Amino acid sequence: MKSERLDMTQHRRYSGLKVGALAVPTVAALILTGCSASTGSSSSSGGSQEFSLSFATSNTMESPFQVLAENYMKSHPNVKITFNPQPNDSYDQTLRTQLQAGNASDVVVTSPGSGTGRSILPLAQAGFLEPLDDAAKKLVPEGSTSTFGSDGKVYGQATEITISALVSNETAAAAAGGFPADFSSLQQQCKALESSGKSLFALAGAAPPNTGLMAMSLAASRVYAEDPKWNDKRAAKETTFAGSDGWKSALEAVNTLKDAGCFQKGAAGGGFDAITKGLASGTSVSGFIPAPSWKQLQSAAGGSQFAVRPLPAEQGSGKSYLFASANYAFSINAASKNKDAAKAFLDWAAQPEQTKAFAEIDGALPVSGLDTYDFDGGAYKNVGALIKDGKYGPLPNIQWPNSAVYDALATGVQGIITGQKSPDQVLQAMDAAWGQ
Amino acid sequence: MTATMQPKSEAAEAPRRGKRTPGAGENTRPRRGPMQFGHWWWALPGIALVFAIHYVATGIGGFFAFTNWTGIGSFKITGLANFEAIFKDPTKLGALSNTLFLAFGSVLLGNIAGLVIALGLNRVLKTRYILRTLFFMPVVLSPLATAYIWKYIFDFDGPLNAFLAAIGAGDQAKPWLADPQWAIWTVLVVLVWSSTGFAMVIFMAGLAGVPVEVEEAAAIDGANLWQRFRNVTLPAIRPAVAIATTLGIVQGLRVFDPIMALTGGGPAGATETLATQVYKQAFALGNFGGGAALALVLAAIILIFAVLQQRLTRSNPED
Repeated sequence: MKSERLDMTQHRRYSGLKVGALAVPTVAALILTGCSASTGSSSSSGGSQEFSLSFATSNTMESPFQVLAENYMKSHPNVKITFNPQPNDSYDQTLRTQLQAGNASDVVVTSPGSGTGRSILPLAQAGFLEPLDDAAKKLVPEGSTSTFGSDGKVYGQATEITISALVSNETAAAAAGGFPADFSSLQQQCKALESSGKSLFALAGAAPPNTGLMAMSLAASRVYAEDPKWNDKRAAKETTFAGSDGWKSALEAVNTLKDAGCFQKGAAGGGFDAITKGLASGTSVSGFIPAPSWKQLQSAAGGSQFAVRPLPAEQGSGKSYLFASANYAFSINAASKNKDAAKAFLDWAAQPEQTKAFAEIDGALPVSGLDTYDFDGGAYKNVGALIKDGKYGPLPNIQWPNSAVYDALATGVQGIITGQKSPDQVLQAMDAAWGQ
Repeated sequence: MTATMQPKSEAAEAPRRGKRTPGAGENTRPRRGPMQFGHWWWALPGIALVFAIHYVATGIGGFFAFTNWTGIGSFKITGLANFEAIFKDPTKLGALSNTLFLAFGSVLLGNIAGLVIALGLNRVLKTRYILRTLFFMPVVLSPLATAYIWKYIFDFDGPLNAFLAAIGAGDQAKPWLADPQWAIWTVLVVLVWSSTGFAMVIFMAGLAGVPVEVEEAAAIDGANLWQRFRNVTLPAIRPAVAIATTLGIVQGLRVFDPIMALTGGGPAGATETLATQVYKQAFALGNFGGGAALALVLAAIILIFAVLQQRLTRSNPED
């Protein structure tokens, strides 16, 4: 009897297990084939509107994108925005993965051009971004149309104009006898500062974005001041990096700066903390960082004044050239279910008072009304004349075809500083990456 | 297939084992007894999951190695172009040689250090339990977190250079992780530090099985310390050596997070390995096809060395 009962129980268990044996792989297959729900929020009835917003964060300070969106919620009480902040170093990869999987936020922060993982052109080409309306078209900076879309369509709404040049600790610069006006006096000041245990530049040699930005700043007056359309010529194969005297001179200048003692000690292994520490403490006078950082540095280092400056040109002060471009944009996810709410937010953000407010929050320049902007007295007073004279262009890597070109430049410059590579080798690697 | 065979053979073994059980004897029915518990298809859920997660996912990833997919949008099948690019690119070949250097370097030094520590802490020493825990600690700690601590130690303004300055060797101070000559050795130090504890534990398990009597007999016969180790201990722990070196090589070949945290592959590619290149190509530079091809190459290399290692260190040639 006992064994029969045991058998019966087991038999019943077998049937249950048969069902289970079939159910588990079926469920597993369903999960694995991606039948999961989107994390995007949805519109609810009753007039309220919801959408989600993804942006990159790189420090503990509140993101300007979040502040702007919170202002929007305050002025539009029926709107609820879900924030999806992502660490800056993994933002590109997360954004691409989420767009591919169909669960990206409704509004995502992108970059113009095709030089990075978050760039508008490849994402739009893959059908992940929604074409935007006239409000976004009006905000595309002059000469940057091709980096915001193609065939007359625009896929990103510029948020601000970011200057990529030098951010300097003016207090430290004044103590060192003023900021040098040309490249030869710059070298002399480097030597003088080095002998007093300080440096003219703080460099994050182990952080490729920083070495790349320095090289592009050196190329500003040597390549793009002479020929603002140089990138177009490179794209048309009329020139190459290795064949460009300007680019060669720019990378040779890295060696010149190194030999003159312009960088802090141990610069080759420095991270971004070396820049923030050096500039905030005044042991370094300036750094090759995006201009909006002046505001964060000034709030971190009480007592010191910070300002944005162009890198002195080799040919003299009259030849200086700046990179000023819209480096970030709002885009709408083509798979979004809340496009109306997202578009309403973008239209609101495109209004002149909002673009001005956003620039003030971030410490950047407004994307509209730059002609009437008052440069005097602010952090941008040293670059006002160049902007008004039109001596600026978009950051070059925005127009490069892929992120491998910039990576070759950035890691190559670290190699020049450590003596592993020559300028020619770096330029050849950039040409090879261009064709990938 | 191995996964399907194993449960089946165990199920087939069960009745025979049952017969040998005392008291089970004649009452046990040959085919429908309570010990006949299991069918091959019970393993189906597990097989399905293993198949879907391991083989299908790997297969799809492997397929992209033959395409020019950027990670988004459409792609074209490009045949072996990605593999040709790998073997033509000096950066990738440099990454390959760095990978082999770090894998074999960390296995060799980590295992020697692990064996020495295991022998030292095997018997006698009173504080051996505390010391074992301390030596094993790096294995338990997060590799990423410890790598950041090491990064701080090797920083130009870090404690190592401060120590050198304090002992009057300030001219030797350098940015260790950004020095083209020293960076790879610095990474090796961190890898050896983190792998020693693991090797130590495996050798300790091996040493526990070495009979004290044999060692004593050898000592009475006049064998010195080295002879006892060479002719008695080492042959007895040969299986432990095989396991420790094989796992060490596999681990060393695919090491990723400490390098990303310490150097990011720099300076200018001096510490780049295949694993960091796979990540950079596939995810940072939008060359998913190239990254997948590199991952396949890495998998093939790991497989070859794991098999070679097993064959070289197996104790019984007929295994």
